[in-house]
Formats: sequence, C-alpha cells, structure tokens
Amino acid sequence: MRLRSVRLTPYLFIAPFFAVFGAFGLYPLIYALQLSFMRWRGGSEARWVGLDNYLYLLTSPEFWASLGNSAVMWLLIVPIQIVAGLGGAVLLANAKLRLRGFFRVAFIAPFVTPLVAMAQVWIVVFDQDHGLINYLLNLVGLPDVGWLTSTTWSKPTLALLFLWKTTGFAIIILLAGLQAVPGGVYEAASLDGASRWRQFWSITVPLVRRSMAFLVVIQTLAVFQMFAEPFVVTEGGPYGSTRTAGLYLYEHISASDLGTGAANSFLLVLLVFGLSLVSVRMLRPKDEVS
Amino acid sequence: MNQHRPGAAQYVLLALLAIVFLYPIWWAVSSSFKPAAEIIASPLSIGELTLDNYRAMFADVPIGTGFVNTALVLLVKGGMTMVFCPLAGYAFAKYDFPFKNLLFGVVLLTLMLPTLVLIIPLLLEMSALGWVNTYQALILPGSIDAFSIFWMRQTIAAIPDELIDAGRVDGAGEFRIFSKVVLPVIRPGLAALAVLTTMNIYNDFVWPVVAVNDTAHQTLQVVLSTLAQNITGNRIGADFATVWGELLAAGSIAMLPLLVIFVLLQRHFINGILAGSVKG
Repeated sequence: MRLRSVRLTPYLFIAPFFAVFGAFGLYPLIYALQLSFMRWRGGSEARWVGLDNYLYLLTSPEFWASLGNSAVMWLLIVPIQIVAGLGGAVLLANAKLRLRGFFRVAFIAPFVTPLVAMAQVWIVVFDQDHGLINYLLNLVGLPDVGWLTSTTWSKPTLALLFLWKTTGFAIIILLAGLQAVPGGVYEAASLDGASRWRQFWSITVPLVRRSMAFLVVIQTLAVFQMFAEPFVVTEGGPYGSTRTAGLYLYEHISASDLGTGAANSFLLVLLVFGLSLVSVRMLRPKDEVS
Repeated sequence: MNQHRPGAAQYVLLALLAIVFLYPIWWAVSSSFKPAAEIIASPLSIGELTLDNYRAMFADVPIGTGFVNTALVLLVKGGMTMVFCPLAGYAFAKYDFPFKNLLFGVVLLTLMLPTLVLIIPLLLEMSALGWVNTYQALILPGSIDAFSIFWMRQTIAAIPDELIDAGRVDGAGEFRIFSKVVLPVIRPGLAALAVLTTMNIYNDFVWPVVAVNDTAHQTLQVVLSTLAQNITGNRIGADFATVWGELLAAGSIAMLPLLVIFVLLQRHFINGILAGSVKG
C-alpha cells in the first residue's frame, strides 16, 4: 500500500501501543537501570552505590544457587519437551487419523488450565503421606517418595507440572512445522527405499528445525522466569532446592531490597538473552548463512 | 505429511498421551465432589457425591470477589488488546511510513523483554501514582502487548492489497476501511486472539500478586494462591482432608470458565496457533 495522502493515519494507529509502552515499559526500564546502581531498602534514603549490587550478587552463593536451580529445571524440561513434542506431533500429523480433533483438544487442554489451580492440584497429588501418586506406588508394592519434601525429587516434580501444562502447546507448534512438509516428499523417499526412521531424521527433523528453535527460545525465557510453580507448590523449599531465579528475584521485592532486585533482574535479562541467542544459533539450519 | 494408514500402536500411544494430559484435570474435578475424607482414603474410586467442599470453600475465601475482579480486568484490558493490537498490526502490515521498520523493531524488542525486569520499577511507579491496590494498576501495564501486534501484523499482511484499495476507491475513510474491510476478513484470527488474550489475562499471576495486597482488588488467581498458602501455613494443625477438598473445589471452579471457552472455540484457537507460529 503506497498512498501518500494518508500521512498521519498509521502513526495514529500505532500510537496507543507506544503510549502504553512508554509509560509502563520504557520509563520503568530506565528507572530500573538507575535503581540497580542504588542501595535502597524499605523506608531508608536511596543512595548511589555504583556496581555494589551487581558485585554483591555475583559473589553471593544464593544468587548462583538460584541460577543453578533454574539451569537444572531447564535441563529437566526443554530437551524432554522437544522430544515428547516432536513424538506427539508426528503421531498427530496424519490426515487419515481418526479422532484427530479429539486428540488435539486433549493434548492442549492442560495449556488452558490456570497455573495456580493446577499447582494446588500438584500439592495434593504429590503429597508424601496421602497423595495419589504414592497411593498408586503403594498399590504395586513400592515405598513412598518425598516428591515435594526431598531435595532429589522437588525439582523433577515441579518440572513435571511445567511439562504437563505446556507440552501440548509444543506439540501444536511442531505440528505446524510438520504440516508444511508436502506429502510427496515422503512418498519419493519411500520409493527410493529410505526407511521410516531415516525419513524421520533426514526429512522431518530438518523441516521442523525452525519451529524447534522458536520453542526452545520461548521455553528458555519461561523456565528462567518460572515463578508461580515454586511460589505456590514449594515456596522454594525444601532447603532452597526449588528457589528458581524468578523466585529469588521476588524475594528481593518482598524483602524491600529494591536496588539488589533491579540488579538481579538485569543480570537475569542478560543471561536469558544470551541463552536465546545460543539456542537460535545451535538450531539454525546448516544451509542458512548469518 | 505421512499418508500411510495409522496402525493400532499409533492409537495406543495417542490414547496414553491423552490420558496423561486429561487425567489430572478429571481427577481434580471429580475429587472435588467427594467427601473430603474419601479423597485420601480412596483416591481412585468415586462413590458418594457432595457439595460440602464447595460450601466450605465459599465460606473460607472471597472467591466471588476474585471472579468479579478478574472479569473486570479481562473486560477492559482484553478490550484494549482486541481494539488496539489489530489496529497497530494493520498499520505495520499495510502502510508505508517513515521510521516504520525502526518502530516495528521496537515492538519486536519488547517481545523479548522478560516481565520480571519491569516488576520492581512498575511497582514503584504505581506507588508514586498512588495506584497500588487499584484496577488501573491491574489493567494498564501490558494492556497493548507486542505479541498480539506482531501476530495481527502477520495475519493482516495476508489480505490482498486490492481489497483495501477497493475500499479506498469507494471513498471510505481510513478507520472505516479497517473496521468494514479488514476486521471481517480476519475474523478467525480475531477469535484466536480473543482466546489467547483471555487465557493470558485470566492466568496472569506475578503482576497481580505484586501490585495488589488488599482483598478487595485481588484477582481470582491471587485469591486461589492465598488459599494454598494459608493451608500450607496451617497444615500441622488443620484437618488437611477438609483443606484439600477446598483446594480442589477452588481449583475446579477456576478451571471451568476457561475450559468452557476453550472447548467452544478450540478450532479457532488451535488453527490460530498453527497459523500464527513459525512455519517450517
């Protein structure tokens, strides 16, 4: 559309976004940057401290522990979700499949459940003494497991909540990538005598690479900001084993230590940006340059 | 697309996956109607049904207030998204104007900005404005979001230019073209946007927890979370069978509206995600 008579119109159309972004995005962002160089606890006067907040965090075992917890969560979630998502998408991507609509709805239903409500269901289901999961284990003669009370199991149990809620979404995203593959490609490969397994590795995987990269980036962002799951289910425990980067950041707020909190959020942003760039690079199709 | 006829193994795997995804929802909802003691004693069977858990829960937590607050935020914030995001998406998709790429770049950059960075300064901004514990605080931040603009731009870019030119030739004003030509064409995309927006606002948790600390303005999710915390706090003394019954009742009732909307609009929703995501 190239119409020179309508000069102001597009600016008017995008103005509401920029008004809201300026007031509640850009302004707080600049404020936060300034705040991250200040010491400001509760009611006391704010005071310029240079890089102290950053230095404090970078030498604090608790900060590194929170990043470590999030990194373990990432390892427990992202690779499993990509594999399970791809498997689910391959199972669904068949035009002759009966009940296809039902399966799609069933897989994505957890995605629309409220996280806080499901987090509470997790408290009940994974309770050590009276929960459903241990009840089932006992039925087959296995002993109780401290799903939410042992430092070994607390992270996998929370990761499972995240996986349960979002893997259906991953399946649909990867399905979108798969459906862009023309059916003829597979037929040609079959005629050439390529096995199903070979077809999967040499046709399917390369074609969904971009969807996979998209998923890895958004889930990396989500995992390193994970907050509601530990906040509701474990409150960061037992022994801080589920104090994720997001929850640790929140603890600065509830302790009214806002300068440190602001510095913490910028360190987190740098990390998340870096991780996203690395994952995009690693998943980029080999034939694409730059 | 694999066009071979699906085998029995494929159906078995799909059915197993469906059970994994659906059973926790079914278990929570069905257990919420069981007498509290039964939830623990016989978690798998359903015998007597009762509304006791719901009665106790309604007496214990202001869940009604939570629903009203969430509905209010949803209406205004969701309304803003549904009007201004397609409008901005239309401008980026179908107009040429100076600094367009730069401005769209800003939109894309904000897409990458983690919510957590803004929490602290936003909270201070709200308290400077005297907006802590207000509806404005819940509604305005993030009300016109970059993702929806980006997505609407993708959707509207697919409309043929001729259609819009025809409207211009007929002498329609710019906004009229948007409302009478563009919006009707992207109706499926709008339905998907409505579902996604509803879901995001309904489930929003971090910001409402921070921005509001009085019961009168708590959204549904915050009300739910306080219930959980009261319970984990009092677990030692309380009869937790009763408490679990209340938790499951509250959770079930909170799931209901979204599940109904989702089932009604699932075709649009799934197709919307399929169309809006990166292909290939």
